[in-house]
Amino acid sequence: MLLTYITAMVLVVVLTIHLLLESPLTGVQLDATLLFPVAKANLIYFKVVFGLLLYAAVIHGVNGLRVIALEWFHPRERAWLLSLLAVMLMGFFLALGSYTLLTVA
Amino acid sequence: MAKTTRFKSGLLSSLIPFGFNVERWGYVVHRVTGVILIGYLAAHLFETFQLSLGPGAWANTMAALHSLGPLEMVGLWLVAGSALYHGANGIRLVLNEMFGMLMGKPIMPVYPYSPTSLGRNQKIAVWTITAVVLVLWLWAGLYLLAGLGVV
Repeated sequence: MLLTYITAMVLVVVLTIHLLLESPLTGVQLDATLLFPVAKANLIYFKVVFGLLLYAAVIHGVNGLRVIALEWFHPRERAWLLSLLAVMLMGFFLALGSYTLLTVA
Repeated sequence: MAKTTRFKSGLLSSLIPFGFNVERWGYVVHRVTGVILIGYLAAHLFETFQLSLGPGAWANTMAALHSLGPLEMVGLWLVAGSALYHGANGIRLVLNEMFGMLMGKPIMPVYPYSPTSLGRNQKIAVWTITAVVLVLWLWAGLYLLAGLGVV
């Protein structure tokens, strides 16, 4: 639970920064942020923000999905399998995001 | 048979808040928006991954997204609403569960039991969150759907 709360608080701060950097509040149009050079430059310039966002979002999100699955489907004796799947999914998402950050930024 | 009963009990009772108080509605919406957001996170990770494959792959991904037509912006609007509600309600939950704020003191559960966790402060928080999120979601809708641009 502590992990959920900590990642939630990190997410509120970092996601707000991410959205504000690429929002109309900064005068940036949505179409402009989707251009290849702009998107790549953003990823390079704000790699620390995106790195933090990646880890907090994946850990919070996948763990949240595991909790929802526990509440909705009551796997009981197979709860360990759900935890294993969650860890594998977390690993996959983190690997994909980290690869993107390391190769682009 | 027993497994089917357990499944229905968990899933249906979690998703149908009718007849329950406002906290239960918040519980359901928090979970539904959470599922929407994890789906978007997966798609967003794959989308951003295309940046590492070069301009061609990125252009193809953008073309595929734009081929969805208005559904692209409607989807983004749904994600924006989900993020706004999940974030705002999440702050309330952290204040409740981690710091014990906004909640009343426990009392003896005498019939008819009225939960102190749903006191005045909690109700103010719930309705304030709902109002703020609806206003911001409307603004996001104007920006995304009507193409109003910089506000």
